[in-house]
Amino acid sequence: MAAAAELSLIKPVNPIRPFGRPVVRHPHLKFRIAAAAAAMAPQKPKKAGKTSIKETLLTPRFYTTDFDEMERLFNTEINKKLNQAEFEALLNEFKTDYNQTHFVRNPEFKAAADKMQGPLREIFVEFLERSCTAEFSGFLLYKELGRRLKKTNPVVAEIFSLMSRDEARHAGFLNKGLSDFNLALDLGFLTKARKYTFFKPKFIFYATYLSEKIGYWRYITIFRHLKENPEYQCYPIFKYFENWCQDENRHGDFFSALLKAQPQFLNDWKAKLWARFFCLSVYVTMYLNDCQRTAFYEGIGLNTKEFDMHVIIETNRTTARIFPAVLDVENPEFKRKLDRMVEINQKLVAVGETQDIPLVKNLKRIPLIAALVSEIIAAYLMPPIESGSVDFAEFEPQLVY
Amino acid sequence: MVAPATLALRPWLVPAPSRADRARSLHTSPLLLPSTSVHLQSNGGATKLFSTCNRVSSIRAVAVDSDQLGSSEPPQQIEKPKKYYFVVANAKFMLDEEEHFKELLYEKLRLYGERNKEQDFWLVVEPKFLDKFPDITKRLKRPAAALVSTDRPWITFMKLRLDRVLSDSFDADTLEDALACNPVDLHFEKPEIWTAPYKKYEFGWWGPFLPPPSI
Repeated sequence: MAAAAELSLIKPVNPIRPFGRPVVRHPHLKFRIAAAAAAMAPQKPKKAGKTSIKETLLTPRFYTTDFDEMERLFNTEINKKLNQAEFEALLNEFKTDYNQTHFVRNPEFKAAADKMQGPLREIFVEFLERSCTAEFSGFLLYKELGRRLKKTNPVVAEIFSLMSRDEARHAGFLNKGLSDFNLALDLGFLTKARKYTFFKPKFIFYATYLSEKIGYWRYITIFRHLKENPEYQCYPIFKYFENWCQDENRHGDFFSALLKAQPQFLNDWKAKLWARFFCLSVYVTMYLNDCQRTAFYEGIGLNTKEFDMHVIIETNRTTARIFPAVLDVENPEFKRKLDRMVEINQKLVAVGETQDIPLVKNLKRIPLIAALVSEIIAAYLMPPIESGSVDFAEFEPQLVY
Repeated sequence: MVAPATLALRPWLVPAPSRADRARSLHTSPLLLPSTSVHLQSNGGATKLFSTCNRVSSIRAVAVDSDQLGSSEPPQQIEKPKKYYFVVANAKFMLDEEEHFKELLYEKLRLYGERNKEQDFWLVVEPKFLDKFPDITKRLKRPAAALVSTDRPWITFMKLRLDRVLSDSFDADTLEDALACNPVDLHFEKPEIWTAPYKKYEFGWWGPFLPPPSI
């Protein structure tokens, strides 16, 4: 779940939070991180752990769902239509464990981290922390699903467990990366202290599918770009991305199979509206998040907006293989709308940084939020593209491949 | 670091005259099937790349009852028919547009190397076995490219991944029968828009997955 970070917008009830830089929500977290760092690297000077960490790094959310409903959905007794062949094929793929020996560190990491100074160092730490939290969030959810589905569908349960293996590996690797910067995330503490966002199973499917696929496209794009431009290869973790993101891609395939096994989540007008909603949420959140962190992308030689648009276009094309409708992101108007959202968001951030009293801040925010919401609605209402797996297409027999 | 962007192509591979780029095809049909911008050129101009197919066929013609095959093929493949599973689509889709497909195949090849597993998957351009599937060929843009394997679950997985492919299976007595192909010259048109901050995978990346010249 490389890009769980991208999902924060999905909580439509409170549109402020995902866009603005939220005020400190867990005041002790900073302390915990610093403390963990001190414990991990006692030989280092104390100030090493004090790298200022903005709360926004915790935007990636933790998810929980209705596990009873999940059990019913994948109960092979109740749901006879389940395509077990697809699940067994996926189980084989996950058992193969392509990356069993991939995540091995070398001395390059520490040396590269030591060389990195100033703002780039700070933004790198934030990148590692966000990514680690996102991967860890996937680990927790998949682990629990693996545990809960053991009885009703052992195949699906085992896939979840193997995916949680991958996520744990990714999170651990990122956390070791943090140790190069004399930091460490206290994952045990995170598990207990973080708020969990509840999603019904069908929303978990849409959201995690997108999260995995967009994660794949982000990682592979960074990898291929850095392979061609090694002068920007400032930290060796990127060299691992090519193999790494194949895990993300496979995880996405699994959610694709889960959705195909529940056609009621794919085949009516409501499904189309939700599919578009989730696409938009994920794309907009990523775009706004990344545009607040251009230093990171520029630091590795990428143009943030071009990078994001590429990732959005490719993710959308991939998603069109399963979602019943996707957004017309290749229409130039879509990008224009995203860019206007970035401008409004910057103004929102600026309001948050003023010295005004909270009431004044909130009053100043009202018109900006209204503008943002109207841009988002306008993007949502743009004519969509009908899509989906050919396995469900009524006119499939007429298709030419 | 499994799949370097610049591949060590096999000696008989001739690089494309120009870098083939992905054509963008989202709007061409309601189901987003890839467009056809593949040029099927006359066989007279077939490149060295696919003349391997010819070679395979001619070797087969003389080698059926010779010992030459035995050296590279386990004997049971000659004695009893084996089942081969495949997914197939137009070559433009398989070899030019689906770049993750290339990554998957190299990942698998890397793993087989690490675990000393004998290769059981191949890419076949214009496979002869298609003649047995009129229901598939009438719905297939040409030239076609098939992913063939003896590993059924893996082909099920690849169908799930690629989605816009047709899938079936057939029996063949020998590997060379299974993988026989007709020579064809591939040429993919450059895409009009290329949004990626990196170059496309090089034309011919599929070389290592073509049927081995030994058969």
